[in-house]
Amino acid sequence: MTELLTNPLSLLVLLPAAAGLALLAVPVKKTAALKGFALAATLLTLLAALFLYAGFDPAGRGMQLRFTLPWLPAYGINYALGADGISLLLIMLTAVLMPSAVLASFSYIKEGQRAYYMCLLFLEASMMGVFAALDLFVFYLFWEGMLIPMYFLIGVWGGPRRVYAALKFFLYTMAGSVLMLVAILWVVAAHHAQTGAWTFLMPELYGGALTPDAQFWLFAAFGLAFAVKVPLFPFHTWLPDAHVEAPTAGSVLLAGVLLKMGVYGYLRLAVPLFPAAAAVFAPWLAALGVTGIVYASLVAWAQKDIKKMVAYSSVAHLGLVILGIMSFEPAAVSGAVLQLVNHGLSTGALFLLVGVLYERRHSRLIEDYGGLAKVMPCFSAVFMIVTLSSIGLPGLNGFVGEALILFGSFRVYPWLAGAAVSGVVLSAVYMLGMYQQVVFGPVRHPENRILPDLNPREWLYLLPLLIFIALIGVRPAPFLKRAAAAVDNYITLAHPRAAAPWSQNEQ
Amino acid sequence: MNSEPLAYAANALAGPLLLAAAAFACLLLPLFIKALRGTQGVIALSAALAALTFLRRPPMAEIGFFGGTLILNPASAYLWAFGFAVLAVILVLSLARPPAGEDSGGEYYFLLLMASLGLLALIAAGDLFTAFIALELLSLPLYALAGIRRSRPGLEAAYKYFMLGAFGSAATVMGIALLNSVYPDLAFAALMKAGAPEPLALAGFVLVISGFAFKTALVPFHMWVPDAYEGAPTAISAFMGAAVKAGGVIILWRLFRIFEYGPVRELFWWLAALTAVAANLMALAQTGLKRLLAYSSVAHAGYITVAFFGGQRGFEAVLYYLPVYAMATIGAFAVALALEKEERGPAIEDLAGLAKTRPWLAAAMAAFMFSLAGVPPLAGFFAKFFAFSAAVNTGSTGLVAAAVIMSAVSMYYYLKVTVVMYMKPAQAAQEYRPAGAVEAVIFLMAAGVLLAGLFARPVLALAAEASRWF
Repeated sequence: MTELLTNPLSLLVLLPAAAGLALLAVPVKKTAALKGFALAATLLTLLAALFLYAGFDPAGRGMQLRFTLPWLPAYGINYALGADGISLLLIMLTAVLMPSAVLASFSYIKEGQRAYYMCLLFLEASMMGVFAALDLFVFYLFWEGMLIPMYFLIGVWGGPRRVYAALKFFLYTMAGSVLMLVAILWVVAAHHAQTGAWTFLMPELYGGALTPDAQFWLFAAFGLAFAVKVPLFPFHTWLPDAHVEAPTAGSVLLAGVLLKMGVYGYLRLAVPLFPAAAAVFAPWLAALGVTGIVYASLVAWAQKDIKKMVAYSSVAHLGLVILGIMSFEPAAVSGAVLQLVNHGLSTGALFLLVGVLYERRHSRLIEDYGGLAKVMPCFSAVFMIVTLSSIGLPGLNGFVGEALILFGSFRVYPWLAGAAVSGVVLSAVYMLGMYQQVVFGPVRHPENRILPDLNPREWLYLLPLLIFIALIGVRPAPFLKRAAAAVDNYITLAHPRAAAPWSQNEQ
Repeated sequence: MNSEPLAYAANALAGPLLLAAAAFACLLLPLFIKALRGTQGVIALSAALAALTFLRRPPMAEIGFFGGTLILNPASAYLWAFGFAVLAVILVLSLARPPAGEDSGGEYYFLLLMASLGLLALIAAGDLFTAFIALELLSLPLYALAGIRRSRPGLEAAYKYFMLGAFGSAATVMGIALLNSVYPDLAFAALMKAGAPEPLALAGFVLVISGFAFKTALVPFHMWVPDAYEGAPTAISAFMGAAVKAGGVIILWRLFRIFEYGPVRELFWWLAALTAVAANLMALAQTGLKRLLAYSSVAHAGYITVAFFGGQRGFEAVLYYLPVYAMATIGAFAVALALEKEERGPAIEDLAGLAKTRPWLAAAMAAFMFSLAGVPPLAGFFAKFFAFSAAVNTGSTGLVAAAVIMSAVSMYYYLKVTVVMYMKPAQAAQEYRPAGAVEAVIFLMAAGVLLAGLFARPVLALAAEASRWF
């Protein structure tokens, strides 16, 4: 039982959850203490995540730092955690984004602060849980449980249309996920029928001999849940509403982490559990991804609201990631995994920057700004770096991921990859266009003349993201190396019979 | 029979006997002893609590009484414990907010205790005829209780409940008569061995099942539910939702497991599917909190029926489901009671701004709603998970798919309550009469739905043990 606390993965789940509960002990009125406590909790979690990173063996294959505690033995349910390179990177991403999200809320959130920080901490616990779960039941528990804090974050502390956005977010995700529950039950029942053992452990369920017909429907059920979460075109309509209405920290975590869960679901569950069906669905999903890239880029181009534009750009970026993981090609999948982190960092930073503007002017419309370079030079410089990272400028993180995905997937889906390039071009068009209108030119509105530049707290929460944006851009190798074994695993599981995935399409 | 089970049986029967004694004490004693007037509730509550102390871990054996008409086994012991606990909680609520006028005698408590006795008898019934008598003992006091306030909504509730309930009882009696013409022995154990039913017996089974489906409130036998729940005193609505349903479920399960396949199975399939679909759709349009909870209770009866298809494992899930569902429902009705300003209970809109004015109450209510909706990590999710898991294991995937889709639909109306509490500003001054006991019940139930899921193992172990005996 002590392992509950000594295992770094378990600690990463329990620490934020316990901190969230402990917040109840802080009086509501003492807002400084509340903020300090929440920040300390996320920093401690980050520290624990660093220990996890240090203890992770980059060369090791399979799940590391495993932890299993029997929970409901009669049903074969274990509280089982473990991490491979993919989960490691996403856990690190979550841990890095959280303190920034908390810091960014200090001045933005004025009412119900205790409940707000509790929601954030519970959300962190469940996000960690999703990435660390090795048991299908535990995975589903965290996957759905996450909806409650996010629902309140959007619905209580969000913008004017928050109720609509929160309901839509909850109902879409729930409706997408319930059939996954049935599919999970089916998989476990089929495994029981075959082996006589009840288990929800993912590694034991991989490679089960399900008929292609059953796999088709099961993949469809899992795939729908994940497609809603990614979100894949045409299941993306909840996303712009949720992102725009959520408070800054909510948008950061939605875009930075929650969207990654959908892709993670494909990587960890849908494809390895049902490889035969995955082979059938992959081209279609890749095509949906590419459709999403083009469609969302065009829609983003037409937006007048910066936050909405960033939201649609997320749909485009995630479409590219889906193209990468559905090509089952090492370079593309590695690129996609790295791109998950990149997107979390750059879109997270973009939402933080939009939040900075909104707190000053209470507007997110592009036309309300202009000429900020003169008024807020530091802000404009940071905004520049993040924008360039988002559109994939070489030397920054976005380039590495996008290039790997495009090169890799070109071998498998030449036409789709070719079409996807248009998205990269379009993203440069709309992002730079927006940047130009906001930052350059004359100061069109007199009230913008007095906007203060970034304050130390804002620097503090932007800096970690900037460091990683630059670091991954210059030296992606350590990150790619850690994910390599997991990516190989994924490709092997996706092609159970093919030993050499590189030669797959030359055959 | 060796002495150990006998000692246990004596112990176990002490509970119901105590309730019976207390029921008459409530009714009669205050007539003679003036000092006892107004203390009937306390008498009833102490009897229920005393009955709880008589609970023991049952021996793994079946003990029949009165020629097998009442059967005591771990399953009935489990549900008796559940029944006593529900009764005690309902009595606390009734004491905190007396539903009947100050001048009324002990008839409220007498009726409530008699209904509970009926429930206990129903749970332990060994044959169909006993089950029917127990059902009447359960129902008749409830008709009166629904209208005990003698106000328009109360009388309407009582009248509807009685008319439709009488129809259900008539169907049951008719069915039993048909069955008896075919089978001389109506004990459940004997019916199990009877083999495939001939048409006359089949008709009998269908009639009996519809009769009990009335009590369990399965669609299309649910018409009385919204009016009865709305018009009855709120504590009684909670009792109907939590306890009465359990009684119906047990008998339906006993009837269900007689058939491995065939038309009766199909009948259950349709009852489950129809209930899950129709109840959730009808709940979407509700504006009154008590009506919403009424439709929600119908929907949950549907999910429970889905679990039947999981066989013994499914019944284990049902035994876990009943207390988890009861906690959330009693809790939600207790919140309605705390905010009640007219007899029909608060409208959902009346909860507006509750998160600001009473944050803890709102948090508890949110927990009940999320639990009823089946969102993890609340206990309601675990209950649904076990129920559906059992049904999928036996191949009823289509039914489960329908049920989970409808449970996603149900999200909408449960969320509506949280939207009103957390995201709407308070309109007028809220009616709130603080009563420590009601709040204590609310928070006890909230703790239950928060913890019973994550720490499901002990309850599940008991349920597994009990499920082997039906």
